[in-house]
This record gives sequence, C-alpha cells and structure tokens, in this order.
Amino acid sequence: MRAYRRTSTVQQMSVSLVVFVVWMVLLDSGGLYDWASRLELGPERRMALPTATWVHRALAPLGIEKERRRGLVELARVGWSDDPEALAAARPVVVKKQVVVADVMTKVVGPAPVVAPHPVRPARPLVLEGAPPMWSVLPKIPAVKSDETRTVALAGDSMMAVGLSPAILQQASQYKDLVFLKLFKSGTGLARPEVFDWQLEYPAMLKDEMPAFIVVAIGANDGQGFVEDGVTYPFGSEGWQRIYAARADSYLQMLEAGGATVVWLGLPPMKDGTFDDRIALINRIDYSVVKASPHAIWYSTTGLVGDGNGRFRDFGEVEGRTARLRQGDGIHLSTDGATLITAKLLPWLAEAQSEIVDVSKK
Amino acid sequence: MLFPTVEYAIFFLIVLAVAWALESRPFWHKLFLLAASYLFYGFWSWRHVPLLFLLSLFAAVVARGIQQSEDEARRKQLLIVGVAVSLLVLVYYKYTSFLVLTALGLWGLVGRTPVWNLPAPFLPLGISFFVFHAISLMGDVYRRKLRVKLHLMDALLYVAFFPQLIAGPILRASHFIPQLMRPVRRGISDVQRIRVNRAFLLILAGLFKKVILSNTLSTRLVEPVFAAPGSFHRGDVLLAIYGYAAQIYCDFSGYTDIAIGCAILLGYHFPKNFDAPYTATDPQDFWQRWHISLSSWLRDYLYIPLGGSRVGSVRLYANLMITMLLGGLWHGASWTFVMWGGLQGVYLIVHRVWKASSLHGVQRLRAARWWPWVARVLMFHAVCVGWVFFRSPTFGVAAEVFRRLGSGGTITLATMPVVVALVLGIFGQYVPRVWRRGVEAGMSWMPIGFSGAVLALGVFVIEMLGPTGVAPFIYFQF
Repeated sequence: MRAYRRTSTVQQMSVSLVVFVVWMVLLDSGGLYDWASRLELGPERRMALPTATWVHRALAPLGIEKERRRGLVELARVGWSDDPEALAAARPVVVKKQVVVADVMTKVVGPAPVVAPHPVRPARPLVLEGAPPMWSVLPKIPAVKSDETRTVALAGDSMMAVGLSPAILQQASQYKDLVFLKLFKSGTGLARPEVFDWQLEYPAMLKDEMPAFIVVAIGANDGQGFVEDGVTYPFGSEGWQRIYAARADSYLQMLEAGGATVVWLGLPPMKDGTFDDRIALINRIDYSVVKASPHAIWYSTTGLVGDGNGRFRDFGEVEGRTARLRQGDGIHLSTDGATLITAKLLPWLAEAQSEIVDVSKK
Repeated sequence: MLFPTVEYAIFFLIVLAVAWALESRPFWHKLFLLAASYLFYGFWSWRHVPLLFLLSLFAAVVARGIQQSEDEARRKQLLIVGVAVSLLVLVYYKYTSFLVLTALGLWGLVGRTPVWNLPAPFLPLGISFFVFHAISLMGDVYRRKLRVKLHLMDALLYVAFFPQLIAGPILRASHFIPQLMRPVRRGISDVQRIRVNRAFLLILAGLFKKVILSNTLSTRLVEPVFAAPGSFHRGDVLLAIYGYAAQIYCDFSGYTDIAIGCAILLGYHFPKNFDAPYTATDPQDFWQRWHISLSSWLRDYLYIPLGGSRVGSVRLYANLMITMLLGGLWHGASWTFVMWGGLQGVYLIVHRVWKASSLHGVQRLRAARWWPWVARVLMFHAVCVGWVFFRSPTFGVAAEVFRRLGSGGTITLATMPVVVALVLGIFGQYVPRVWRRGVEAGMSWMPIGFSGAVLALGVFVIEMLGPTGVAPFIYFQF
C-alpha cells in the first residue's frame, strides 16, 4: 500500500539499496565487466573479474548489453560521444579499423598523402639495449621549404597531455609553419590494450590526417603487470618485457605507417624511487624498440629535466629564472619543465622538411 | 578512489551496511568509520595517512587541553600553539615551492639567483581541508561552541570522516561532533529518520553535474582553450570562460552533493555548500551562495577575529581584502590565486561603497524592477573575470585569454554536447527549489524500493552519456 514517507527506516533504506544493486547489475553488467577487466593485477581483480564475467555471461541472453552498445554508437552518431572507437563505429566508412603488428593502416577516404608510407618491416624479437643516454642530439635534417606548412602530431598519454602539449601549443604561434594535431589521451598506455587499445583508437583519432612528424610521450601508466592469453605476467618479468616490447613496436609501426617520422621522448626521471626504477625499465625497452627503427628518433629528456646525475629534481633554471620543473605528483612535467624540452624540439621541427625523412641512424 | 567509480560504490555499500549494523555499539561504529576513512584516504596514498592521523591526534589533544583548562591565558596559549602548528604543516606541504620561488624571484631582482636543489614535498591530498578541520576543532572548543565533552575518537573521526575528507564541505566541529554523541541517535526514533529519497536525488544530481556536465565542458571546451588560448578566436575563448564558470560549479557542487547524500545515508547531516551561486546579485550575495562552508569558515575564523564590520571603513576594507587574499591563497600556491582573491576583495569593497551610497541616481537604479537582473548579469561576468585567473596557470596565459577576446574568427567548439552542458550548468541554477522538493515528495509516495530503481536507472543513463574516463575533481588539488 502506498503511503507518504519523507523519511525512511534503516530497513526501508536497505530494501531501496538492494533494489538499486539488482537493477544496476541488470542494466549495466557490461559496464561492470569492463570495469573488472580493467583493474590492475591483484586481489581486487582476482575477486571481481570472475564474478563480473559470470554475471555478464548469465545476463547476456536478456540483450540489455547489446542495446547498451548500440546506444553508445547512436550517441556517437548524433555527435554526443567523444569516444574515438564509438565514433569510428558510428561512421564506418571513414576509417577501416584494422591495424595489427607490422600491418599498414588502410584508409578508405581522405586527401592524397603528403608523405609516402614507409615500407612494412617484420616484427623482431626484443634485443634489450642498455640504459638510454641522458642526452640526445637531434639528427641533421634538410631545411624546410618556404611555402609549406607541416603537420606535427602530439601523441601519447598524460605525459603528453599534462605539461608537454600545453607548452608546445602555447609556443605554436611562434612557429607559423607548424600545424599541430592532438592525438593523445590521458589514462592510457601500452601495457593494457584491454583498457585502451591504441591500435583501434589511434586510426579513429587520426581520421584522414597525414602528419609528417609525430612526437610521442607515453608509458607512465605501464609500470604494472598484465594478463596475456590467460597467463599472468608480473611487471618486469622476462615475458612481460618481451610482450611489452612487441606492443611498443606495434605502436611505433602504427605511428610510422603513414610515412611519419616519429620522435619518441624518453620518460623523465620520477620522484618516487620505486616508480623511477619501473620507468627506467620501460625507457630501456622503448629505447631498444626505437633504436631498431629507421624512421624513429629517440629523444632523451633526462638530461634536460633531471639533475646532473640523471635523477629527479623539482627545480631548475628556465629562461634565466628558477622554476618548478615537475607537477606536484612528481610524475608529470610542469609547463616550465616542458619548456626545457620544447625549446630544443620546436626549432628543430620547424627546420625539418615535410617530406619523408629516413633517419637511418641516430 | 573517486566518487563516480565502481570502487567507491562497492566501498560505500560495504561501509554503509557495516556502519548501520554497528549502530547500537557506538564505540565500534565510530572506530569502524574511522578505519574506513583511513582506508579511503589510503586508496590515494598510504604515504600521508600517518600525517592525517598525527595532525588530527595533535588537534584532539590540544582541544582537550583547552576544554579542560579554566585559565583563559592558558587556553589562548594552547589555541595559538595548535593553530600555528597546523598552519606550519599546511605551509610546509603546500607553500614551500611557492615561497622558495617567490624568494628566489625577489633575490633575482638584486643579484644572481642562487641554485636551489632541495626537493619539494609531495602534496598530501585534501590537506587544506583537513587542516581547516583541525583548526575548527580547536577554535570551536576555545570559543566554547562545542559544549559536549570531547572524546578522542570523535575528534579523529571529525577530521578524517571520508565523505568530506578530500574536498569538503568544511564541517564545524560544533556542528558535527554532537551528531556523533547524540543519545537520541542510538534510539529507534532516529534510525527511522533517514531521508533516503533526498540522499538518492543528491547523489544523482552530483553524478550528473560531475560526469556529464563538468567532464564534457572540461574535455571539449575548457582544456583545449586554456592550454593554448592563442590558437582560438573570440567566440571560442568567450565560450571557454563561460564554460569554466559552469564547469567549476558543476564539478565542486557535484562533489559536495554526493558527499552530502552519502552522509545522509550514513545518518549524518552536512551543511549546504552551494545555493545557486550564479543567481547572486552582488558579491556579498555570491559569497553566501558559493562554497558556503569555506566562506563562513573564513568569516568566523579570520574576518571576525580581524575586527569584522564593527570597525571604521578603511579597516573594514582592509579586513575584507586580507580575508579574500588569504582565501585566494588557500585555493592554491600561486600568484594567480592571490589575484583571484584580490579581485573578490575589490568586488566586495566596491559593493560596500555602492550599498552605502546615498546618491539619488544610485538609489533609483537600485529600486528599479529590472535592476536585479542587470545586477545578476554584471555579477556573473565579474565572477567570470575572476575565473580566468583561477584557471590560468600563469598571468601570461590569463593575459592571452583576455587578449584573444579582441580577435575575430568563428566559433569552432560550440558542439551540441558543449552547448547543452553550458546551458544546464549555468541556467540550471534558476530551476525553482520547489521543483526539486516536488520530485522528492513525488518519490515519497512511491512504494519502498522505487527510489532504488530510479537511482539505478539514473546512474546507468549518466554512465552512458558521460565522456570516457573520469577527470579528477578540481577541488582535490586544494
């Protein structure tokens, strides 16, 4: 029987909450499964994933999840969603989403490319180099043609989104010949394609653009283990290194596929010692992958934003004044810190020509 | 652990169930909530849990000392020591870099700047909030506002209670601690007084404002423009300024809505923190509607001790300016925040002068029927000017934003989601309060459990409509 209740008892509240949980699971078992599958390795994931998987499978016959996915695509179609994958699904004629290791991105429509695609190279086993150098020297490139602009894509995760890209874009007005594309996304990386798959998302973000240069900063979220084909690989294990190297190589090849020269920025030293050790390993693997490519350049940031020994520092001199080089989290660069990198990088990019540059040896 | 995540939902449901199960055993109930609060904080960083514990323990010991002493001089000494130590902790963690860089900048004016290689401390999340709670605890005891005997557990829980720990609202010890001690709370009558529908609606409103409105405006409008204002023309820049006004309101009021809703379900009452701030007609009105718990904290613990309004006009203006400058600095260790606070001080002073004016023309203007609407528009734009400094990382970026307002060009960022979020974020504040109460009353007629289904459907729709990923709340950095 209905009766007016402005307030409830604990028992009545409990009933409401149970109804909430039941409805939530019914409506959003897909979202729950997505959440569980994105958890980092550990007890939380060990408990949540089997439960979420079971619930998801049990409720699949109801068809709610299918409708939910269709709803997301429809939202993308009407211009509401900003998710590249949903957008790509809503406009399947624009980009064919199929990029695998050593494959070349296939475009269906778009202007004639201003750069020629690089030849496909086979995937190679990991040969781990030593630690990357503290300093890098950018290779000589022929002078730019006077009547051209060139497109530079900024790619990666929050290491690009925070500090670096704002610094680059704020200085963009000084470099009239450079046009920038934003192809980065925070909270992503290369270790967990089930969380964010660059192989699927990047072509959708790129649309029909053909950047001549791609500046990449990625990997700060990758200091974690993952599961591949049902096998758990703790961070840093031999298998982890092999698979991570393959993923970094796939990512690099995808970036290079349109003919761009990739400038891979090494991650700077981190404030937390344990985290810094993890980042050092990621840098070694990425450096090994980049060094093996004739179309990619490794650019070390350690010497620029680290101290004299390549270790983390909070403060440094920027344009004649002392400035804080890093964000308060001890991970990301501040805009001032990023300026130390862009001060070298942007003039170099502005002098490079927009044709394909074969940087055979760095 | 962000509020709009599955992790928090699971955490909260477990805490809720256990907390109510322990309701008849006050000690265990509070101990459990305290442990849950430290766990909640530890999800962000275990590194700073000891700091949170030690600071609240220190504040509790000092507050007990003040409460037990009858000697006024001794009470005052204890208060001064307690507040000074709390502020030193805040200054060390939050303002070290700012002070160092300012000192080096000044040094650079007279000579070669020395090299500074010492590391800056990690900033503990929500330190501004829990330090203010610690000060409020000691201050309320000193002013005899807290009339009940202070217990250690209550003091620790007051400072660390998880719904308000990271971004407020800033509770008063005199308001919250009696709720922990209320004998009637243990009786059957009180556990029948949970406003579940109100809590659910607040949680839904908070999620809607944060996940859809704030995130959409942030990712699609505000971030791109403030990252590189030089790349955008007048229309986009103006839209981004309005967008940030809507974003920061939706972000922060969304957080506090969820916090208040969660507290209601746990059986506690938090004060209102926002009251349709963009409907304000003057700066004083605005500060009675925006971040109410902070503005009233500053009023009671800073402005009134400085002398408040019961002084001459010059001293009054100085008090207003000092309060707002420090309020600006509280938000962040940067001169742009100080500038923002200074602007608010100027607005308040100009308003005082305007209000005191006996000029005939001014009085006629104020009496006009249309004046409140003109005043609202003026006030909103004055607030927006302040937000430019608040959002810009440097004065250079703020100057560029204003400079671009004079440039021509077309609007490129006014996409459908952005426009919808902007309109709802600003004009949603004009929705009559009676409508919101009507929805709650309507739900109250429905069968038990109906509100649970409404909440689930609402959360599902919000998840569908929200952008991918959840950005951290703006006020977490403060």
